[in-house]
Amino acid sequence: MIRCFERYEAETSQFFDEVISKEGTPRSHYDKMLQRFGQFSADDIKARREIVNIFFRNQGITFTVYGEEEGVERLFPFDLIPRVLPANEWQTIERGLTQRITALNTFLHDIYHGQKILKDKVIPAELILGSQHFRREFVGVNPPLGIYIHVTGSDIIRDGEGNYLVLEDNLRTPSGVSYMLQNRQAMKRAFPVLFDKYKIRPIENYPQELLRTLQEIGPVSRRDPNVVVLTPGIYNSAYFEHSFLARQMGVELTEGKDLVVNNNKVYTRTTRGLERVDVVYRRVDDAFLDPLVFRPDSKLGVAGIVNAYRKGNVTLANAIGCGVADDKVIYSFVPEIIKYYLGEDPILENVPTWLASNPSDLKYILANLDKLVVKAANESGGYGMLIGPESTIEQQENFAEMIVANPRNYIAQPTISLSRHPSFFNDTELFGCHIDLRPYVLYGKTITIVPGGLTRVALKRGSLVVNSSQGGGSKDTWVVDE
Amino acid sequence: MLSRVAESLFWMSRYFERAENTARFLDVNFNLLLDLNKITHIENPSYWVALILVTSDKERFNSLYDEYSARTVTDYLVFNKSNPNSITSCIGLARENARSIIESISSEMWEQVNNLYHYLQNVTPQFVQNDPYGFYKEIKNASHLFQGITDNTFSHNEGWDFIQIAKYLERTDNIARLIDVKYHMLLSEAQSQPELVAGSEDIIQWMAVLKSCSALEAFRKVYLSKIDPDNILRFLILDRTFPRSINFSVCAAEDALWRISGSSRHRYVNNADRLIGKLEAELSYTAIEDIFSKGLHHYLEDLEQRLVKVGEQVHLTYFAYHTPEIESSDIEEALPFTGIAGGRANWSQAQQHQQQQ
Repeated sequence: MIRCFERYEAETSQFFDEVISKEGTPRSHYDKMLQRFGQFSADDIKARREIVNIFFRNQGITFTVYGEEEGVERLFPFDLIPRVLPANEWQTIERGLTQRITALNTFLHDIYHGQKILKDKVIPAELILGSQHFRREFVGVNPPLGIYIHVTGSDIIRDGEGNYLVLEDNLRTPSGVSYMLQNRQAMKRAFPVLFDKYKIRPIENYPQELLRTLQEIGPVSRRDPNVVVLTPGIYNSAYFEHSFLARQMGVELTEGKDLVVNNNKVYTRTTRGLERVDVVYRRVDDAFLDPLVFRPDSKLGVAGIVNAYRKGNVTLANAIGCGVADDKVIYSFVPEIIKYYLGEDPILENVPTWLASNPSDLKYILANLDKLVVKAANESGGYGMLIGPESTIEQQENFAEMIVANPRNYIAQPTISLSRHPSFFNDTELFGCHIDLRPYVLYGKTITIVPGGLTRVALKRGSLVVNSSQGGGSKDTWVVDE
Repeated sequence: MLSRVAESLFWMSRYFERAENTARFLDVNFNLLLDLNKITHIENPSYWVALILVTSDKERFNSLYDEYSARTVTDYLVFNKSNPNSITSCIGLARENARSIIESISSEMWEQVNNLYHYLQNVTPQFVQNDPYGFYKEIKNASHLFQGITDNTFSHNEGWDFIQIAKYLERTDNIARLIDVKYHMLLSEAQSQPELVAGSEDIIQWMAVLKSCSALEAFRKVYLSKIDPDNILRFLILDRTFPRSINFSVCAAEDALWRISGSSRHRYVNNADRLIGKLEAELSYTAIEDIFSKGLHHYLEDLEQRLVKVGEQVHLTYFAYHTPEIESSDIEEALPFTGIAGGRANWSQAQQHQQQQ
């Protein structure tokens, strides 16, 4: 290892390092990459960083961090060192996610129909019926093909031994897939030679696959369904992604005010009158979707769209009420859910989870707040979280109060040292930064997962939070065939 | 095409054109002072007040500054963010509109708007003061580049036509204001009829008007060196071939509107087509003497008001489709020199900040 890697400290005694094994030697799938990076001088790296920055800026690839004064947009932090996943490891992830998403979809169908799993007492009924994401209005509604979760993005981490574990399921409106696609474009520009050395599985077909999936789930009566993307608007932090996907699929990007419901059918307002819409890939939360049914103050939604959906005149992707299955409390039951519906053992394990609603777990959580990660069941994006070892006594006491007041809303997990990957902090020095992986799963007539996903990286030294809303960045992810 | 997309294309184009015209006014004013050897009098307010009159912004300007000078007027028209018509504001608004339809325009168009926006973020008043010529040229070129890119990377269908309508309506309005203000100034100086306003300084001033429309060379090809106000006005108002004349711009806007609706001569489909057709027909059969007999100022004022009406009808016909409940509030925003983006900017921002998974 030469040049930029020579001073890299993997600290493999404490962490699972993606590149360097416990013996201190590089893992074989990283050989070519280390060789190539080894040839780079600091100036080479700088020049490539510049190429990447210009690419991102020109594409307008920015991310909004709420609550910050300066400007509304910032460049999404991107790390130049790609993550390499060997094909055999990817196969495990792919099989594991297919299994998991199939089971979760069956679970949702059951919850909104016979509720067999509750009657069999595999999951306590009050956890489901009391969830804020359970939509009783949709019991008995049949989405086309019986599919609820058309686009999902589960977060996968590796523990100290390198086992892949699922950290959470995002079954409502997972974001980030545009960064996965753009990261690849940026890397192709900056490192063409390195690309040539690996057999990297392509991901560029994601938009076509997404469109195909969305067309497959259109209302049965409609041939050649008209698909639109529904965004909250240009001030949403993921707006870039919404417009990017619409452009890549060649469909209209709509805001709530572009859509109108007449006679339980959904239309877009165009310069030539109204045009029928069959499938809405909505990136608007349930609560804002229809002011007639959910929050009456919503300006982002479309009045009447829920009734059109119930009538089967329009398909919503994802379906309404999926949040009940990606709740962090329900998460802890996913292994049972897989066994119950599929009769299989989970291929991807969960992170061990304690439920505050369970009295013995609650006792354990309160006694170990300084060691555990506590999460609010319904929050996402790294909000509403306590990281025990990094917290102050005051924060812990705060959380203890909140947990006792509303135990259903909290879970705790051991602090897992996510695996680390060498990353540039400032283009001159490499540090081991914690990473996770979010592959994107499409569910139409079949389940499709483009190889790879978004690797998020905590670009603060020692930080475990990879969420972009908390200053995390990302890196390109290569699934390679040897 | 979604009405919202059409509307954003329209305003993106309109704001870009407005920024270019403001750059032209400023550029010419600097040049004029050089021509007149009055660079030592560069702070003389009478050379700067006209630029504020052009944009009908006197009140707002006076609330912000206490004098008309190169510094204050440049600051107001280039940088001031509370002035929605400053170059910085216009490009910001053009970009905001582009951003909201980024999936509909070509990525090259977006890059160009975005580049200019970032360029402007880094420009300082000092930079403009040191090299006004270079700065304004940059803005003009950026606008030309944007139009060229649009021409060559964006399908020439309905959306392109909305871009053209906006560009030419805005341009017509700007030329009319420029002529009106210059005429007003010269008239008040000379206290006489335009035929008589022909001292050498006045000729230089009129040449400056031509220059700000990039029209000097084209003018000379038609009228040789007979630079008198009659010919200049005839050229800027009635010439049918020069792209920065009023007649040309109105024709171009008419063509675009008719392409969208399928209207043709003698057969209009909607009120926007009717109003622009009427305007075009009148321009085609008007002689400069008719304008003088009506009174130039009066004529231009009437023209500006009719352009506003065309804009209103475009809005009602295409952007406010089937949305009677929001029409009344939006029309107001669609008038020239106010713009919609300011309104959009506050639109339910908070709700859009939903947490992301």
